[in-house]
Order: sequence, then C-alpha cells, then structure tokens
Amino acid sequence: MIRLSKALALVAAAVLFVAACGGNGTGSATTTFKGTKKVGISLPLTGQSNLYGHAKSQALRLAAEDINAKGGVNGYKIEMDVIDDGTTVPKAVDNVNQLILQDQVIAMMGSVTSGQCAAQTPIVKQNKIVYIDSTCNSYQLTLEPDLLNPYWVSIVPNTYMEGTSAGAEAAKLGAKKIFIVSPNYLFGTSETNAFVAALTKKNPNVTFNDKSTWYVPFPTNPRWDSTINAIQAFQPDLVYSNIFSQDQVNFVKQALAVDPNFFTKYQMVTLSSIDDFNALGPQYPQGMHVYMRAPFFQLSNSKLDAWVSEYKTKYNEYPSDWALMDTDALNLWAQAANKAGTFDSDKVMSQILGKSFSSLRGYNFTVRTQDHQANVGETIGTTTDSAGKYPFVVLKDSSNLKGDDIMMSTTLMQEMLDGKCEKGGDPKTANFALCPSWK
Amino acid sequence: MDPGKFLLFAVGGLSLAAYLFIVTAGLSLVFGALRVINMAHGSLYMIAAFVTVVVANQIGVAAGFFVGLLVAILAAGAVGAVIEVIVLRRVYNQEHLVQLLGTYAVALIISGLVRLIWGANYRTMPEPSLFSGTISLFGYSYARYNLFMIAAALVIGAAVYLMLYRTGLGRNIRAAVADSQLLSTTGVNVKLLFTTVFVIGAGLAGLGGVIVAPSQAVGSTMDSDILVLAFAISVIGGLGSIVGSLVGSLIVGEVISFGLANPATNAFALAFVFLIMVAVLTVRPWGLFGTPEMQ
Repeated sequence: MIRLSKALALVAAAVLFVAACGGNGTGSATTTFKGTKKVGISLPLTGQSNLYGHAKSQALRLAAEDINAKGGVNGYKIEMDVIDDGTTVPKAVDNVNQLILQDQVIAMMGSVTSGQCAAQTPIVKQNKIVYIDSTCNSYQLTLEPDLLNPYWVSIVPNTYMEGTSAGAEAAKLGAKKIFIVSPNYLFGTSETNAFVAALTKKNPNVTFNDKSTWYVPFPTNPRWDSTINAIQAFQPDLVYSNIFSQDQVNFVKQALAVDPNFFTKYQMVTLSSIDDFNALGPQYPQGMHVYMRAPFFQLSNSKLDAWVSEYKTKYNEYPSDWALMDTDALNLWAQAANKAGTFDSDKVMSQILGKSFSSLRGYNFTVRTQDHQANVGETIGTTTDSAGKYPFVVLKDSSNLKGDDIMMSTTLMQEMLDGKCEKGGDPKTANFALCPSWK
Repeated sequence: MDPGKFLLFAVGGLSLAAYLFIVTAGLSLVFGALRVINMAHGSLYMIAAFVTVVVANQIGVAAGFFVGLLVAILAAGAVGAVIEVIVLRRVYNQEHLVQLLGTYAVALIISGLVRLIWGANYRTMPEPSLFSGTISLFGYSYARYNLFMIAAALVIGAAVYLMLYRTGLGRNIRAAVADSQLLSTTGVNVKLLFTTVFVIGAGLAGLGGVIVAPSQAVGSTMDSDILVLAFAISVIGGLGSIVGSLVGSLIVGEVISFGLANPATNAFALAFVFLIMVAVLTVRPWGLFGTPEMQ
C-alpha cells in the first residue's frame, strides 16, 4: 500500500512537473524548436527619433512572439536582437557590425533615419545579410549606384512616392507661394526635391522661399522661433514640411502659440504619423493636409483590427505607423525564409523579389525586382477631430493612394540607373527630375 | 530689412536667448560656486518638465502650472541634494574630468529612470491661460508666452545676481569660491553651503523645466537637446558668471535668429555661434565675463 502511494505520488509529481513546464497539450505550447536564431535591428531608443525606435522595438518583439507561436521559422525560434543607436550614424554602424559579426544575426530589420541606413548598407551587403527596411526611405537607397545592395528590401513608401504625392496635393490646393522647411540630411533633401519636382511639373509658376533657407539642422534645438518668424515674414499660401517627431511637435506647438490660426492662415502640407498626433493630442491642428505611411485607423481591416487590439492590450497604447510597418517587415522575412526552407540570404531573397506578401495594411504588396521597392501605398488626408474615438486627431477627405500609382516608373528608374539623369555626367548630381522621361 | 521684420527676428532671438538662459542659469551658478561642470543639470530640468506636465494634465492647466511650479522645483531640488551628497562630495577635490564623468553617469541613470517611469512618448501641455494668446505689432504676431519667458529670464538673472551680491549667502558663496578652507575657519559650514548652492542650482534647473514645459514636447531626450548650445554659451559668456550666461545666451539667440533669417547666412547660422566660441577661447579663454581659474 505504501509502495502504491509512493508510485501515485511520483506520478502526481510528474504530472505537476509537466504541467508546470507548460505541457498542456495545445499546439503552440508544445512547439519544440531546433534552436534559436537572432534577427537584428539597430534603432534609436534614445536621441531625436527615440519615439520611433520605441514603437519599432515593441512591434518587432510582438511579431516575433506571434511567429514563434506559429512554429517559428524553419523550425527555429526567432529572437529579436535590439540595440540602441541613440539616433546617430556612427553608433548605427558600430551596431550593425556587432549584430552581424558578434551576435551572428541571420537577418536585419531596417533602422530609422536614411543617414543611418545609407551607412549600414555596405556592411550588410558585404556580409550578405537580408535587410528589410520599413522606415528609412530615401529612394537613393535603392537607386544610387554606390548604395545598391542585392540584399536590401524596402517596404516603406520611399521619398519619391511620398514627395511626389505631397507635391500633387499642394498643386491640387492651388498654392502659388510655398515656404519649405525640411531636415538637412539625405531624407529631407530627397523628399523635398521630389515634392518640388512634382509641384513645379504641375504648376511651373509656383514660387518658393530662398532655397538656402529650406533646410534646418538635424537634429535641431527645440526652439523654432526663427522658422516661424521666417514664415510670417514670407507670407506664403502654403507651408510644406517633412520635419518629424519631436521637431514637428515643437514647431506646431510654438507656431500655435504665436498665432492660434497659424495653420489656417498658412495652410500646411506635411509628413505626419500617429506618434505626432498622439504627442499633441487635441492640440494637433485640424485642417492640416498630412501624408502618412500607415495609419491604422485609415486602413482598417479584420486582420489589422485584431493586431491593433493585441498591440494595445500588450502595450497599453495605439500602434504607430512604424509599428505596423515593422510587423509587416518581420512577417515578410519569416514568410520568405519559410518558403526558402533555409536562412541562406540568396535563397531567401529569391523568395522575396517579384513575390507578393500579405500585409496588415489590408492588401498584398509585391517587391519589385528592379529596385527591391514594394508597391506599398501612402495615406493622404486632412486632420479632423476623432469625436472621442481616439485620443488624437484622425483624417477626413482621405485616400489611400495605391503603391502602383505613386511608384517611380521603371523607365525613370532605368534612366537613373543608366546615368541619364545627371548634370554634366556627374553622378553626385543624379536627380530623377533631370531624367528625359520626367521632362 | 524693414523695422517690422527686424523687430520680429530680434524678439525671436530674445525668445531663444531667454530659453537658453533659463535652462543654463543654474549650470553657471553651480560652476561659479563649486567649480563643478554638472552634466546632470539637464536631467534635473527634464524631471521638472515631466512633473509639470503630469501635474497639469491631472489637475488642469490653470492650477497645474503653478502647482507644478512648486512640486517640480521641490522635486528637482531634492534630487539635486541627493546628487550632491552621494556623488559630488566625493569628487570636489578631483580633476574636472572625474567630475564630468561622475555627473554624466548620474545623467545617464536619470535618463533611464525617466524612460522607465514616463515612457518614450512625448507629452505636451497647453500654456496657462494667464500667459497664452498673442500680441500683434507691425503686422506680425508674437506669442505672449515667449514674452513671458523673456521676462522670466530677466527676473531669474536679477534674482541670482542679487542673491550672489546682496545677501549673506551670496557673500559666503563668493568667499567659498575664493578659498573654501579659509571660509571654514570662520565657522561657516562649507559642506552645508555647497549643498545649499547645488540645491539652488537644481531648483533653477527645475524652474527652467517648468517654464519651458508648456512651449515644447516634453520627452526623455530633452536633457541633452541643448547641451551643445549650453556649453557654447558658457564658453562665450564665461563659465560661472551669471552675467556671462545672460550675455552669452543673448549673443547665441540673436546670431541664430538673424543668421537663419538671412538666405546668405542661413546655412552657417550655427557655425557662426561656434566661430564666436573659438574666437573667445583664443582671445579670452575664461570667457567674456568669467575669471581665470587659479591654479
């Protein structure tokens, strides 16, 4: 009898042990992985763009959890290896070296600023690491000969797509006198050039503030008095900006302090994001003409709504555009690697280029073979009160522009690659607005 | 440039100067009295800004700003006291590099704690209604809050100057700068004096945070946002001189404002600030209003 009791006790202990270890018989919990593989990202958890890094890191960790719950990738558990770059280029370079050489990541997700991405791409290329870029978006990253990288994939609307969309919007508004304010680095100059090219193509008589005053240092100090005063002195019909994050919040706040009707007097076309909306809450001006990369409230679909709910439950905040695009980025890589049945970068890339992927954005997108740019869309609209639905403004009179409609044409792209869009044959002057087919 | 535009950019420069002076006044006081470059000064300013926004968003802007003023200055002062007792007392007699590293470590710790407590999202609050609204002059609009900041900077400058040159505490502080050991032989508790000075410096940082909070995004990077300009001001005006800080802020504010306004100088506006800094370092290394450090 005593032996039987001991045996029963042993069985009970074993059952408890198994239960404690998570052996509850459900599919996800019983997944046994062959091992763990790391996917790396260097992003700004501090510095000017820390808000974006925060959203990206949260989204990627959640996406990795979801991928692992479905069995991982090629039988391996995926772990995100996240390192802070302080929004600086040198640290972003150090980080990518560390991630590849020391941490031995098998793929990388893209950083935030175009300057960082441009500095990282040669290292990624040299080490043959697939790099899915979902935030930095200068079109030069996929078209400039020095930066071309066979392992680079862009699933964010690039500066050509955004700038020309914004230019078309400004032309539609009939503005004749434009004041431009933009951050002085690759992204700002690239997007501003696209804006100016698209606007002047539609309206050649438009005038701008002096070109030497278009750009502000990046990162800049938190006071925008000079720019706000320059706008008052210039008296434009429209202000165009692609300043973002902290800079946009400070600019908008200080402009409203100078004149509560500032953005009525000087209508504004600007890049924006849910982070910017969220930071200013009800103070974000209504009637602003904004273009956004992936605002969840504008792209609503059942898959996205479920993910928004999951994200909000986990992090107690609404997901930003960056969170959505990074989730798409990791899912794209996971789908491609699973299809390839290997982590070999060449084989994974062969499952990405020319292939179609489902997106949280409610449509499938395809990664173009020629420039590795996905035909993802851009949302454009006018800010309005959300009537209590969200703690920030939403959009009215909005449209989700289709990627195919705003992408650079293959003809234009080929002319760029063939060096037909340069002044005097100098590659440093390459600009799509100089291409024969643009004219 | 017509007079209206000139005034517009001059006041813009004054607004920037006021902001810079409000944030750096405490830094200058602490260096002047304790000969410590406090890299955590921005952290105290950031804590105060967060406290103000949180209080204002909880109880409403009207009362929140003034309650925040009290709570935030007390909070910054209390954190300052802890830093002085735990860190600075151990490094007063060390070389400046050790002091820099010590206070920089404190800044990093506070920055991490702020992110843990308040998260990465930027927070904002409206201006208190007493200082909101605009004034129109020569066809251009001016924010009343900016004018309030200019007035606040002048009051802070005057108050610190009077404290240093018209009070017993100020006399002791100046005596401690000259020879703290000699001062201690007169019965003055120098340790307590140093703590008091640092707490006042921290309180000034707090005051800066409170005043700045309604005019910009409050986030976990605001401690380092103006570090470079703060040191340029200190070098130009003279580290440790409150008058120097005021003049340095004025020079930097106006050079940036008019520099950015003019298309011919726009691209070099910030470079001019550092050119001036280099010129001052070359001709008068202790700054326009500073005093050479005795060896």
